[in-house]
Amino acid sequence: MNALAVSAPVDMAELRATLAAEAGPVHFVAGGTDMLIAGRPLPETGLLIDLARVAGMAFISTDGTDVRIGGATTVAALAADCRLRVRIPALCEAAAQCGSVQIRNRATIGGNIANAAPAADLMPVLVAAGTRLALLKHDGTQYEAALCEYLPNSGHLITEVILPERGLLPRSAFVKLGSRQDMTISRLNLALLAEFQSNHFGVVRVAAGALGPVSSRLHRAEVALAGRKLGAATLRDFIAALIDEVDTAIPGRNSQLHKRRAVAGLGLDLIAQAMGLSPRDRLFEEAAG
Amino acid sequence: MNQISRRVPLVDGVAKVTGALRFTADLHVEGSLHGALVLSPRAHARVASIDATAALAVEGVHAVFWHENTPSRYYNSSIWFAGQEALADERMFPPVVRHIGDRVAAVVAETEEIARHAARLVVVEYVDLPAIFDPEAALVHAGPVMRDDGIPAFMNPVADESFTHGDLDAGFAAADLVVETHVTMPRSHHCAIEPHACIAKPEPDGRILILSPCQSVFAVQAVVVQALGVPQDQIRVVKTPIGGSFGGKAEPILDPLCAFFALALGRPVMIRYDRHETFTATRTRSSVVGRMRIALSSDGRILARDTETLVDIGAYCTGGNYLPSSMLQRLVRLYDVPAERYTGRAVYTNTVPAGAFRGYGSPQIHTIAEITLDISARRLGVDPVEMRLRNLIEPNAIEPWQGLNVGNARGRECLIRGADAFGWQGRRRADAGRGRWRRGAGVASATHINGCYPGFHEETTATLRLLPDGRAELVCALHDLGCGADTTLAQIAGETLGLRACDIAIVPADTDSCPYDLGTRASRMTYICGEAIRRAGIALAEAIRAAAVLELNTEASGLRLEAGAVRRPDGSGLALSDLAARLAARGEELPAATEIYRAQANPGSYAAHFAEVEVDRLTGRVRVTDYLAAHDVGRAINPMLVEGQIHGGIQIGIGYALYEDVAIDRVTGRMRGDSFSRYTLVNASEMPPMRVLLIEEGEPTGPFGAKAVGEIATIPVAAAVVNAVNDALGTELTDLPLVPERILAAVS
Repeated sequence: MNALAVSAPVDMAELRATLAAEAGPVHFVAGGTDMLIAGRPLPETGLLIDLARVAGMAFISTDGTDVRIGGATTVAALAADCRLRVRIPALCEAAAQCGSVQIRNRATIGGNIANAAPAADLMPVLVAAGTRLALLKHDGTQYEAALCEYLPNSGHLITEVILPERGLLPRSAFVKLGSRQDMTISRLNLALLAEFQSNHFGVVRVAAGALGPVSSRLHRAEVALAGRKLGAATLRDFIAALIDEVDTAIPGRNSQLHKRRAVAGLGLDLIAQAMGLSPRDRLFEEAAG
Repeated sequence: MNQISRRVPLVDGVAKVTGALRFTADLHVEGSLHGALVLSPRAHARVASIDATAALAVEGVHAVFWHENTPSRYYNSSIWFAGQEALADERMFPPVVRHIGDRVAAVVAETEEIARHAARLVVVEYVDLPAIFDPEAALVHAGPVMRDDGIPAFMNPVADESFTHGDLDAGFAAADLVVETHVTMPRSHHCAIEPHACIAKPEPDGRILILSPCQSVFAVQAVVVQALGVPQDQIRVVKTPIGGSFGGKAEPILDPLCAFFALALGRPVMIRYDRHETFTATRTRSSVVGRMRIALSSDGRILARDTETLVDIGAYCTGGNYLPSSMLQRLVRLYDVPAERYTGRAVYTNTVPAGAFRGYGSPQIHTIAEITLDISARRLGVDPVEMRLRNLIEPNAIEPWQGLNVGNARGRECLIRGADAFGWQGRRRADAGRGRWRRGAGVASATHINGCYPGFHEETTATLRLLPDGRAELVCALHDLGCGADTTLAQIAGETLGLRACDIAIVPADTDSCPYDLGTRASRMTYICGEAIRRAGIALAEAIRAAAVLELNTEASGLRLEAGAVRRPDGSGLALSDLAARLAARGEELPAATEIYRAQANPGSYAAHFAEVEVDRLTGRVRVTDYLAAHDVGRAINPMLVEGQIHGGIQIGIGYALYEDVAIDRVTGRMRGDSFSRYTLVNASEMPPMRVLLIEEGEPTGPFGAKAVGEIATIPVAAAVVNAVNDALGTELTDLPLVPERILAAVS
């Protein structure tokens, strides 16, 4: 009934050839968890390329200095990868909290980025980690770009997600707040990557999702922690900074009142997870008090 | 007892889990066409024009229907039988749409995909009309004339029920404390796994066969007849297996359309809604605003109570005008209140119509009353359980509104034994905590009805017939909604006949072959249909024994039915299949028995629920950490299914307390919670550990002492959870659902 053609290349060479041969618009589908079930009409013309069968697009490489992840790697694979968990536990945690089991089994890291949902769960971690993307243009040209420079509407294919070594700080965490505990869309999510030694924070990177159109770094929250001793006073400053970030991000929004309070709880949960502590530890109760 | 109080597996369980059982949308009907609806994006508008040219040009499209080429007859989709008086304000396709999601047009095509594609090509011009989304605003709105025949159809209030009992002024004058609350309850959605679907099929004799996952084939027939203006005998309705209803399929929505399309086109037609359509274009639980003023003595006795309810029934009347009186009926049979005044009003708004939903007003009214009672107990310094015990109605009390005997009412035992099992005293004494997380415990009582007596000719007819293979056939227009009613009722039949539940062959509800029955509603299946079946079973057993006299050369009185055989006192006997064969060989008809049972009572089922919660004061999230439900069920025919009903009731109730709201925007009329990604249900990981305590003291008028449990299972839940949250936080929250925003606003 429509003129949409579908192609399912089996490897990168065929994918490149398919792209090069297509003069019209090209659309990509991997897990299809957003394109196929969200009530969005499918594109009616052009070429729809199924990435799920492209050999070599789903991998997690943690052996090198950088962590490299194929664009078609499923969220379930991220959640389950032990070596990835050693390098960046926050990404595994975000993946584990993304959607349902069925969604995680189909959804891909590339799709999570390309779909550009403000509440995408992998995004705060990737943003905090200073992620770079390997991209493929239709003419076969490959290039690398920082995640923050990626334009979802460019039509360029995310072939690899690169977490540079310098961004992989030893402590990391991801927390989210949805309408219920799991299988829920984030109304607010936070990621943290940090150096931590002798009970002191070193370099800290914090990012949030669902506070704006895209996930972004929370620099004031980072400053509140960087170089400081883990203690109630630091945590209180961190909470104040988070609240400040919320007030700046969504002034006057209906959700502002809720999020500015909820971010305090979420922020404490974030630090507790990064430190391997319980958020019910006295330290956090003191900070909350 | 052979079958009663046994955990018998669902008689259709294997067919369900193996996929052998086919739901309506999965049925393949030879030559079937498919329909797709054009639904209104406007909340209130006149349909100025419809251009179907582009849709009709699509290959495979057979027809496009809208108000100009479909019957202009008005109907009410909630009627239960032909001739029932009800405000008929619905049309298949109204010329004036009254809510977003109202039916504008339909395309019928070779496939659903073609129909949906073509439906998007139907061009509709609307002329917007003023719309009302707020029930309080609607109350003062007499409304414009909506019907083109000049009859005012949008007058508010649609219903106005009032009741006074005792000396209200004296009660309030004598009060040591007067508590006044304002409680709001959201519109929640049934969220049955199976969306709405229907098939209509022309028969060779000119009749239309409707295959419908419904709660009453006779109600479907009555509504279709009213909508189409065809003779009743032209419409045959057969119930198909249901993938959940909870009241959402009580009213036929697609059936009149399918029937008309099939009649007009001479082809079978199937329509199946998707999830979005099921949310926006079917029914919801009505939202209710309640004001309650309660006069109390210092020891916690209720001296007087004054209740006002305002029910938003949405854009069409359906059965919404019954809701104020239904709530009154349930309110007055829980506590012994010496002076009572009740005013209940129902109003139209330009929102999706409300309809039946598990409890039909009971969850709303008991939530209002139980939250109010808990706030009263706290202000008085009386334990909430103690306070309820001081006011609960006694067994065989006469309720003051209809003067009905409440039967063997065991609400007291539910509270006492439930509190003990839950460790109520210890939990209430425990410190709520001082930090981020606070713990609290809450309780709520509830009651619900057993059938429709004294209204609506509450009777049913059951026929049981011995089959040649020794099993028995049951004809009783039964509508199992997935809750296990067929299994429970087969157990009752089996018990009387010495057979197993799986030996009872249940004939699907069919207007052609079953006697009239009101259907599955008003918690009547076990209590009403069960008693009719029990009586028919006893009569059939007697007939079998009489038929076996010649074969076994023993007096009938000495014979008993056991394990599929008719036996002499010494245990020797004859298998029922052998008996059937011998009777057939002699040319005799196999024994059968029919019993018409007309209800003589409407006892109450009672319950007390206990919830423990933990509230995160920073994020506003509430977690129900423990739950106990004590239920006065008279007798559990199948304890496993009773527990299942209660577990499901708890799930719906927690959602009602904490999450569920279709959230109709008060400015645009648009439903925000119109998909599972926007409408939050309680999922498995949210559920607390649940314990069920059954109080089985027997109801003399119920089959084997049984009373209903299906609806009451969800009625006290929301109040128990809200009361627990208020206990944890020291708040008096009364606006449901208790979403984090509301929690945080209260603690900030």
